[in-house]
Amino acid sequence: MNEPIIDLEGVCRSYERGNEVLQVLDHLDLEMQRGTFYALMGPSGSGKTTLLNLIGGLDRPDRGRLIVCGEELQDLSSSELARWRADNVGFVFQGFNLLPVLTALENVEMPLSLTPLSRSRRRAQAELALELVGLKDRMQHRPRELSGGQEQRVAIARAIATDPALILADEPTGDLDRASADQVLELLQKLNDELEKTILMVTHDPRAADHASAIVHLDKGRLGSIETTERGATQAAKPRS
Amino acid sequence: MQARMVWRNLMAHKLRTFLTFGAIVLAVFLLCFLRAAVRTLEGSVEAASSNRLMVQSAVSLFQDLPLAYENKMRAVPGVDWICKWQWFGGVYRERSNFFAQFGIDPETFLRSYNGVAMVEGTYEDFAQTKTGCLIGKGLAASYGFGVGDDIPLIGTIFTKADGSEWRFTVKAIYESTTPVIDNNTMFFHFEVLKDAVETGAARGPRGVGVYMLRLDDGVSPETVMAGVDTLFENGPQRVQTTTEAEFNRQFVTMLGGVPKLLGAIGIAVLFAIFFAVLNTMLMAARERTRSNGILKAMGFSDGYVFRSLLVESMVLALVGGVVGVVFVKLVEAPVSQSIGRAIGGFRVESSTMVIGLLLALGIGLAAGVVPAWMARRIEPVDAFRSEA
Ligand SMILES: Nc1ncnc2c1ncn2[C@@H]1O[C@H](COP(=O)(O)OP(=O)(O)OP(=O)(O)O)[C@@H](O)[C@H]1O
Ligand SMILES: [Mg+2]
Repeated sequence: MNEPIIDLEGVCRSYERGNEVLQVLDHLDLEMQRGTFYALMGPSGSGKTTLLNLIGGLDRPDRGRLIVCGEELQDLSSSELARWRADNVGFVFQGFNLLPVLTALENVEMPLSLTPLSRSRRRAQAELALELVGLKDRMQHRPRELSGGQEQRVAIARAIATDPALILADEPTGDLDRASADQVLELLQKLNDELEKTILMVTHDPRAADHASAIVHLDKGRLGSIETTERGATQAAKPRS
Repeated sequence: MQARMVWRNLMAHKLRTFLTFGAIVLAVFLLCFLRAAVRTLEGSVEAASSNRLMVQSAVSLFQDLPLAYENKMRAVPGVDWICKWQWFGGVYRERSNFFAQFGIDPETFLRSYNGVAMVEGTYEDFAQTKTGCLIGKGLAASYGFGVGDDIPLIGTIFTKADGSEWRFTVKAIYESTTPVIDNNTMFFHFEVLKDAVETGAARGPRGVGVYMLRLDDGVSPETVMAGVDTLFENGPQRVQTTTEAEFNRQFVTMLGGVPKLLGAIGIAVLFAIFFAVLNTMLMAARERTRSNGILKAMGFSDGYVFRSLLVESMVLALVGGVVGVVFVKLVEAPVSQSIGRAIGGFRVESSTMVIGLLLALGIGLAAGVVPAWMARRIEPVDAFRSEA
């Protein structure tokens, strides 16, 4: 079997609130396979965002091992983590993902400026990413000139611009209407299908979760079952070339 | 890319940026202006030569010395030549037209000062014409005087017996590069005053305000000063001999605490402007909490967001500083024309401009460092939770 892209062993994360300790993640073990689209579900406050932040190297566990994209994250310094994020993950958050002072194109180019690519290559790649999300005609627009759904699609373009293996999305459709949400979800599906990106998406919406191939349930700091969706089953039935 | 971000961020709040920028321009302008004024005053002290001594009455500057002192002092070893200076205090048409006029000795005046050159007419012409006068180019420019023009003056200290005006014909216009002689003064023959008073054609003090002693090269001013002072120890009029520097300093101290006051105002302005820029940068840092979180999540370093804010603050301050300095330089000539006559010139030295720019840069640095540090410290996770 392939090495998992995400491998958590005994991961703990707690917050102190006054003199109370809130154990958000309690000895969590989790393996996730490369090229799969996961939906992470669970009640509010169950620690979904906390888990996503740990996997994305934005936060550190109190205890446990965290191997993501072949790197042991718990021991990295914050500048090493920043470097690792630039190379390995793309983030999409719930809303206000973009830098308001930059155009859509410049926003997508931003992470590319951390790569050694030339200016013209960066631009070409950013345009390609915007084309992929269907917003090439909006590339000179500022975020406030875009709809919520368009903004999320630009954020997705930015997340894939550097071609990272892993996309982490925290309720990317949380603020969107049904039609825009479906567009975003179909886009994520496409990234999974065509570019074989591993995607971990937090969502409250069962219909959104249906777009994934597997659903991970999190409750009170513990993992429940990993359930394969209809889509996951069809995918498994016709293995990729 | 970072340069573009700095620019876009500045332009994202045009009004706020413009107001802060305007405040910096004004402050740097004011600081440079004040320094230029103070430096001009001090310049006359610094440029003073040690081979010129000034002899005045020990009682006060407004007390004249006897004419007979000239020959006695000429006999003091070390004195090369003497030039008399007499304050005339005349009024040209209206009281508000103030400029200084002195009766001097044409034979010794010009050669006493390096850096005074004729730009129109000749000095010889002035020296040979008893009713002639020599005027600074600043004076010529502000009143439109040219060579050959008559300048009528109403005497206040020296008044004509028949009540008429004094008349002097412009024979030459000079330009001075030494701060000891400014470009807004009129000089005429001391003889004119002396003769008028002696013949009864005019009323006024019979004497000399200040004797300027030019020393032989290499002579110690202290020995000559002591020699002159002892010469008149027993009257009829006791004298006070000082170096030119000391003499000019009297005028600076006559302004009392003005330079100090100007300095204090300057420091107050600096503080005010520091807080204005600090406020702007704190607001900028705060409203960019989420943006900085996003940048860090993407993999940008803490140093990157730190530099962004710091550079932004310094660019704002420096551009404001440059514009402020340019404004000061632009008003240099007109100010020197108008108030320069009263305060003895107005010159914006390059050191003043450099200081203005350095202060602006310093303010940008000081006001930018705290917000930049805050931006550096913020964790992306907290930036998203604080939900701007
Ligand atoms: N920085 C923090 N300090 C204190 N408590 C925190 C902090 N971050 C998260 N928590 C707490 O940890 C728990 C889990 O938070 P988390 O954001 O991971 O939940 P979630 O599953 O993403 O919830 P939601 O669905 O509402 O987004 C919550 O009770 C939250 O209040
Ligand atoms: Mg959450």
